[in-house]
Amino acid sequence: MPEETRLVVEIPPDMAFAHCLAGVAKTLAERLGMGPRENLRFQLTVEEFCMYLAGVARDGRPMRIELTGKRHLLHAAFGFEASELALGGLNITACPKPGQSGESPKDIGLLLAGKAADRFFLEHQGGDRFRIVAEVDRVYPALSPVRPPESSRPPYRLLAEHDPARLTQAAALASGAYPAWQCPGSFRTPEKFADLVADGQVDCLAAVDASGRMAGLVTWSPCSDRAIYFSGPFVFAADTPRADIARLLLDGMLMALARTPYVIMLSFRGTDDLTPGYFEPLGNLRVSAEAGGEQAVVFRHLREDAGLAVWCSPRIETFLRQSYERLEMFRDLLPVEEPPVRTRTESLLGATLDRQRDLAELQPFLDGRDMAANLAAHVDAIRGKGIGRILFYMDLSRPWEAALAEDLTHAGFVPKLVLPYAGQADKVVWQHERAS
Amino acid sequence: MNGPLERIPAYVREFERYVPSRPDAALMRQYGVSRLVRLNNNENALGPPPSAREAVAAFDPARAAVYPSGDAYDLRHALAARFGKSPEQFLVGNGSCEVIASVIRALCAPGDAIVTADRTFAVYEWVARFSGIASRLVPLKNLALDPAAMHAAVTEGVRVVFVCNPNNPTGSWWNRAVLESFLRALDGRAMVVLDEAYREFVDDPDFPDGMEIMESHDNVLVFRTFSKMYGLAGFRVGYLCGSLEATDIIRRTQIAYSVNVLGQVAATAALADDAGHIAATRRMVADAKAFLGRECDALGLEYVCGQGNFAMVRTPVSDTLLYRRFMRQGIMVRTMTGFRFPNWIRVSLAPEAAMQAFATALRSALDAK
Repeated sequence: MPEETRLVVEIPPDMAFAHCLAGVAKTLAERLGMGPRENLRFQLTVEEFCMYLAGVARDGRPMRIELTGKRHLLHAAFGFEASELALGGLNITACPKPGQSGESPKDIGLLLAGKAADRFFLEHQGGDRFRIVAEVDRVYPALSPVRPPESSRPPYRLLAEHDPARLTQAAALASGAYPAWQCPGSFRTPEKFADLVADGQVDCLAAVDASGRMAGLVTWSPCSDRAIYFSGPFVFAADTPRADIARLLLDGMLMALARTPYVIMLSFRGTDDLTPGYFEPLGNLRVSAEAGGEQAVVFRHLREDAGLAVWCSPRIETFLRQSYERLEMFRDLLPVEEPPVRTRTESLLGATLDRQRDLAELQPFLDGRDMAANLAAHVDAIRGKGIGRILFYMDLSRPWEAALAEDLTHAGFVPKLVLPYAGQADKVVWQHERAS
Repeated sequence: MNGPLERIPAYVREFERYVPSRPDAALMRQYGVSRLVRLNNNENALGPPPSAREAVAAFDPARAAVYPSGDAYDLRHALAARFGKSPEQFLVGNGSCEVIASVIRALCAPGDAIVTADRTFAVYEWVARFSGIASRLVPLKNLALDPAAMHAAVTEGVRVVFVCNPNNPTGSWWNRAVLESFLRALDGRAMVVLDEAYREFVDDPDFPDGMEIMESHDNVLVFRTFSKMYGLAGFRVGYLCGSLEATDIIRRTQIAYSVNVLGQVAATAALADDAGHIAATRRMVADAKAFLGRECDALGLEYVCGQGNFAMVRTPVSDTLLYRRFMRQGIMVRTMTGFRFPNWIRVSLAPEAAMQAFATALRSALDAK
């Protein structure tokens, strides 16, 4: 299987090209050894996005399509220009809207494209330029439990582990030893975790004992140009000096990241094995609406914080000032215009749902006059799927996102914590409080 | 489409620029303090020697309109007289950072590599990276440069070995025997830069003098600076000394006129009468080391205090958190995560009042946890 296959093409905004691009998508999926179901979903994603975007893209301006195959997923990116962009059909709450007599329902293609992909992102690149990214994941076998090592013996050392079999074993060991919410989703399908490492999407360090047995693991991946999300440390053997292994892993990770572009490390999944004093609390999130347990979110800088300017709604000014004061971070708060001026009719939210972790994560892609209703509809839909925890991420680099504070409050969201540098600037994490 | 920017080499695009700290006034406003004790850059708190102060005070502002000597002529002659060498063996730069860049430009081509330690002065690694030259980073052993491992790392394609002696930030150093043994084993297969930025702080007779060593090893280049012992960091004057042939080659890659006239005047004057200044500085550093050692012992903190006007302290909380707590009290230290020493800080050794302020801030910062 090739390391990564990337195809780039520019086409005029003409629906006639959609079918042949679907053929390219099919060939790419075949070459990457994807299963028939992933292959079909990828073809559908590419064809339907092409068809839809050809209809809305500005005449005379080419669309740039990139199709990339990696071990763990197929990725399609569509760059285009559009002056009137309405992508409401991509919301998870979207339903087919009736067309005029005899026509297909409006937005049906967009709806199909959104449902066929595992996830999508929208980047507004300024002016009328946009980029949509849609991804289809490879399907992996589920976790087979493995027995944890009964004992291990020092000295312990670090390995930048790349062997797929050992990575798979490490992910399975972590899954067996730690609760699901502390493990990356890929640990549930450990072969995916090994592929993510091979694809360069995730970095990790393993700790091994004197005989080379796996003793611990820590993983990390970028969440922005400036910030890293990490998971762990995971320590496998019960009878070992857990604190020593954890510290070895954390020091190794910090040294690996020391002279990189990253300013900060963040974790929603810090384990009980985190070495005291290494990380600072950002705040807490509820783990389970029913149980009422809390999950600490932690961080540490990798260098001195040079400060930032962030947009701020009056609704959360006190929250932001108190948060930054407590964190001793310097931010210039720039007031946003309220109420926001909304020129677009339909808003668009990205949604990632994870039933096993009882978690839904929302992020705004496009503002629109229906934002308040759209938020409420998303909450209803997510609750309807039995998911209790709903988080919303607001990037304070964009004034229109910062101005969503009022709509979020009305929809039942509460600002919980600030994630420094997690977006283009800091992000605020809002959590939905279930109405009593 | 960004046009020409799309063709920027990956090693430039992916390089993270160094972000210097803000000016003192801005930092004081930011942290709400009325004073700032700088213990982060290993500057000499005693300032420049009296001879340099007088030269700066006597400088005629009208000379600012005239270009400086393009190759620091007077300073090179003063250095030559001081060390008994030819002025042509000296190359003066805008701080030793400029000289590091000149060496790498002159001696390395794409595909070549440098060897240095993983936890040492970062600029060797940075310049190599943004120049497209590989860095082979050799782990420290017991907080010191590991001569055997560094020697083993010098394989095909390695052009320069950077040896920071004493090492910043650990203060460890190679004595004469270790250095001689390393150079003999290397047998001229790569140029060796002895970065002696802190050598004037060392009074141990077993500390090797690069100026002597280079007489018997023509692959040795010696770096020194006026930014540390001589208290002229604000003027940015550093230099290298090497064989006539090596210096001639390196000079070709350095921009002339890069060292300002006032820096040249002050550095030349500083050399003229430095014995008293060096002795006073060494006393101040020795006192500060003793003070810091007592404080760390009392607090149960691990510390490393080798040669040079700095020490490292291991902290029970993240170094970056401690930095912010220190700044709230007007004390500036260097976080060490970026040096690959997570949860250590580096502290410049300074007169008693500054060290006392540091100790007070340290206790307060640790109490806050």
